[in-house]
Amino acid sequence: MSNSRKIALISLLSLTNLAMVLPAAADPARDAILATLAEEAKKADPAFGGFSAERGQAFFAAKHTGGKPDTPSCTSCHSQDPTAAGETRAGKRIEPMAVSKNPSRFNKVEEVNKWFGRNCNSVLGRECTAVEKGDFITYLSAK
Amino acid sequence: MTGQNYAVAGDEGSQPPQMVRVWDGPTRLFHWLLVVSVAVAMLTGFLAPEWWMGTHLFAGYAIVLLLAFRLIWGVFGSEYARLINLARSTRYLGAYVRGLALLRPPHYVGHNPVGALMIFAFFGVFLGLVATGLMVQAGEEKQGPLAGIVGYAVGHAGKEVHEFLAFAALAMIAIHIAGVLVESWLQNVNLTRGMIDGRMPLPRGFRVPTPRAARPLAAGAVMLLITSLSSATLYGLSRMPPLGIPIMPENATYRSECGACHWSFHPSLLPKTSWEQLLAELDEHFGEDASLPADKKDEIARYLSAYSAESWDTEAANRFRLVSASDPMQITKTSYWVAKHRQIDTKIFQSAAVKSSSNCTACHKDADTGRFDDQKIEMPKVSRP
Repeated sequence: MSNSRKIALISLLSLTNLAMVLPAAADPARDAILATLAEEAKKADPAFGGFSAERGQAFFAAKHTGGKPDTPSCTSCHSQDPTAAGETRAGKRIEPMAVSKNPSRFNKVEEVNKWFGRNCNSVLGRECTAVEKGDFITYLSAK
Repeated sequence: MTGQNYAVAGDEGSQPPQMVRVWDGPTRLFHWLLVVSVAVAMLTGFLAPEWWMGTHLFAGYAIVLLLAFRLIWGVFGSEYARLINLARSTRYLGAYVRGLALLRPPHYVGHNPVGALMIFAFFGVFLGLVATGLMVQAGEEKQGPLAGIVGYAVGHAGKEVHEFLAFAALAMIAIHIAGVLVESWLQNVNLTRGMIDGRMPLPRGFRVPTPRAARPLAAGAVMLLITSLSSATLYGLSRMPPLGIPIMPENATYRSECGACHWSFHPSLLPKTSWEQLLAELDEHFGEDASLPADKKDEIARYLSAYSAESWDTEAANRFRLVSASDPMQITKTSYWVAKHRQIDTKIFQSAAVKSSSNCTACHKDADTGRFDDQKIEMPKVSRP
């Protein structure tokens, strides 16, 4: 194989890799969900300055109070490592939360609403704020 | 000369007895195959765990075949295999019992009167066992030739009789063995050997009547006829669907919504009222919020109610219909569930292969059908520290 062909092949392979990574990072449906949440956040607090992956990470790992005793944290079921699979209390596998491992996360409004609706109540005993949801998605989209 | 198969014991102690051919080959083979089949049936029925049910049924089918053969051979077999010979032997019951009371039981060619009575009793008990066994298999397990005819209630009643008869058979086997030992001892002979080589030790001078020979051709012809008739009947019965197993469509919403967090329980495992209550309280679902949009919740409620325990006649549906008064939505709180799983180590429930007592499919490989066959239980291997 000539050098030029080698280079061409390597470039092609890198491009395909890029193509595989890109849609996971930038999914228009997910962007739209985040945009809606940002709008809500701004409405609640005009000083809102954007979502933060760091805040999202802290929220994901934190032990919360106010929710149901069996589920004090997101990590109770989703495991400490968002790139790993989690497990429900009944023992069923939960696909990883990290978008890099599971590109179909956070790209269906209905699903996102259902799971935030249920799990915020189970873990925090209340609805999550738009900022909390947005931080959460931002953190896991970067993961 | 037939029929005179009875003689009072003489001075048999003074000289070696004569050996008389009594039990023909097929009768001996039948006897020992029955011993093996009954032993397997007893071990799997009384002692082995549920998943040996397949072997138990196999033993039962073997006993059916052996009994059918023996009844036919009882008509066409050689002299001492014939039922008429056995029946005639019972006429001398009084004389035999008097002899036995004096510890000098008379000699017989073939069965003595008490032994003959025992054979008829064995026929009755074994026929009762296979009949009730087929009823339980059909009614409770929804398997076998009678599954299209016998429902759960009848099968369940049959189980009581089956268990009683099994204990009766056990007692009769003990009496049978004791009888052989006692008579062997009193007459100073080895009766068991006769069932191996077919020869029976009788006192010298005992006049043995001319035995009738077997009619193997006639026996074969009748067996062929009965086998054909039974095959045709079995084929007809096998075409009948089991009672109380409705055809249930798949519901994608139920599978995906409920199945996201736990095994999607078969609808037959709870009664309608329990499903309705459970769906009405989804925000407090066993320690979690499992709320659903109204349209999905209603669809699932309709599906589960339509195929709830009331619509099925399986053992599981009949048992789990009787929910726990304090926890009507928890299958694992029913007295039946508790009793059935009492002996299972909690380590197995906590193991990586099972994880939770709600995960029926981990061991019940057919749980998705709602049948919960005994043969389909596969306990996961759990390493012990």
